[in-house]
Amino acid sequence: MNVTTTVVGSYPRPEWFRDYLRKVEGLQKELNVKVDEEIMKKAISEILDEQRRAGIDLPTDGQLIWHDFLLTIASRLDGFEMNGLIRYFDNNLYYRIPITRAKIKRSAEILYDLDVAFEIYRDIKAVLSCYTITKLSKNMFYKKYDEFLWDMCRAIREEIKRLESMGVKYIQIDEPSLIYAKRDELGLLEEIFKEITRVKSETILMTYFGSAENIFPEVLDFGFDVIGLDFVEGYEENLNVVREYDIHSINIGIVDGRNTKIEKVNDLKEKFEKIVSSDNFKIVYTSPNTGLEFLPRVKAYEKMELLTKLRGVII
Amino acid sequence: MKTTVVGSYPKPKWLLEILNMYGEGKIDKSLMEEAYMDSVKSVVKDHEIAGVDIIWDGEMRREEMVSYFAERIDGFKIYGEVRVWGNAYYPKPSIVSELEYREKLVIDDFLYLKSITDRNIKVPITGAYTIVDWSFNEYYLKREEAIYALAEVLNREFRGLVRVGANYIQLDEPAIPTHPEELEIAKNAVEIMVKGIRAYIGMHICYGDYRAIFPDILDFKVDQIDFEFANRKFEDLKILEDYDYDKDLGFGCIDVHSKTVESVEEVKRAIKMALDIVEPDQLYVDPDCGLKLLPRNIAFEKLRVMVKATNEVKKEFDL
Repeated sequence: MNVTTTVVGSYPRPEWFRDYLRKVEGLQKELNVKVDEEIMKKAISEILDEQRRAGIDLPTDGQLIWHDFLLTIASRLDGFEMNGLIRYFDNNLYYRIPITRAKIKRSAEILYDLDVAFEIYRDIKAVLSCYTITKLSKNMFYKKYDEFLWDMCRAIREEIKRLESMGVKYIQIDEPSLIYAKRDELGLLEEIFKEITRVKSETILMTYFGSAENIFPEVLDFGFDVIGLDFVEGYEENLNVVREYDIHSINIGIVDGRNTKIEKVNDLKEKFEKIVSSDNFKIVYTSPNTGLEFLPRVKAYEKMELLTKLRGVII
Repeated sequence: MKTTVVGSYPKPKWLLEILNMYGEGKIDKSLMEEAYMDSVKSVVKDHEIAGVDIIWDGEMRREEMVSYFAERIDGFKIYGEVRVWGNAYYPKPSIVSELEYREKLVIDDFLYLKSITDRNIKVPITGAYTIVDWSFNEYYLKREEAIYALAEVLNREFRGLVRVGANYIQLDEPAIPTHPEELEIAKNAVEIMVKGIRAYIGMHICYGDYRAIFPDILDFKVDQIDFEFANRKFEDLKILEDYDYDKDLGFGCIDVHSKTVESVEEVKRAIKMALDIVEPDQLYVDPDCGLKLLPRNIAFEKLRVMVKATNEVKKEFDL
């Protein structure tokens, strides 16, 4: 079986880069300093090397200047204002809550940091988000939620088109909020994601922090080439999902990205075999279940190595 | 009606410089120790001049509220730092084996403080629930097992504290309101921590949605709960009113996130609002949280205003 190792997106910053950011931006809530491109390039290339060294086939730029996790995307769009700190899902991590103050528009590149990474290494995955941004922000502008989501969708689609013309071949859409989506939202979400996935690049939907059973089978019609499921925190439920539905290509989030405990390769192998034996997948990615920045850097590295070791023992 | 502090106070600038030099190996341990002790003396003097009734040592030795204790308890290991938000990081410990008592955590700090002041002393320490919530768990199958094991460790420390004369312990538990679904576990943990402890027990809670922890929090085995109110413009007092709050109240009425020093008048107004809810002898006036992130002169001014406002209210009410 052909297995490609990848990561979800975020990665711990190199210590020197952390010190640099603290020096130029400070600790406080005003984090709008433009990072020097040469310094950013050095940090990103260090993280790209680290991923390659650990055996990751499809790396990311590590989201090294994303202060607000996925909500960083909002901070780069017109119409949002970043406000007080709020908890990011059930993590001991906080982001500035984006508030809509005007129509959401994209007037500049969103992933300008990805461009830096793309110059260094071309087989890289771009990470965006749409629905989750609208769910984790506070809407003070749109009368109807649908309009907010559609404007968000248009902005993200514009960015995807730009990335595609640049030559980016893999577009990942992170949607942790999807696991809490209500059943009656799924019709609208199908229209939204069909629009987003109407591109030539490979599109990957990434869900995490739990099982995605609530959005099946509808999500199969969203147009994604690959569906990513969390097999650490939603193992039993997601295993039922792959047994019940025909998912053609999958990203298996199998290594725990939120705990320093290093799993036994044999336990992972057993889990992996159960998952892949339940369906006939065309493409199989393995990854941690979440971004790796929840971990200290030394452990983040070990978790990536674990994926490589796992690939070594599966046939 | 008493005035107190939550715990931390800005470190003197000279202490920070000496800490750096110590980190670079330029000075030896005995000099570092002397600097710690002198910094406590200066902080205590600040508190005494400001007129605070119940004081602590300003936590000169603590860099951070979780790893400081984790480093002194068997079973924890620290691999490195993780982010809390933006550019702020903390060394997040991992539980890698059975949690066990190894050495004194705060007893020596208490004894030293007692030897240099006649004021009443409160001993703040991060609670078992919060330490485990802000750590990785590699060892225990269930989270509550780790929490209860750590609560036993802290209980042993508290017994030692009371033996040497401490009579007021404060559990710092900011993580409790972030998991209202685990209130039962947090409550059990408090019971283990205070088992057999003959001392006045306070519990400091900041951040999060207070409404989510009411009314269950009223059943916790503590004498006092200390909340932040200034940061939310005193709106949360309504919650206490709604639930017939009956414990002693730690009344956070000074905003620690703002460098603007409150006026005596506005603090007086706030204290009077609190007196609508509890009796004067149930009221402990203090800042919202530790003062360590403020410039030292502002922290001092804020304490002075707080004490002045309390004294004026006392006078007006003939207390």
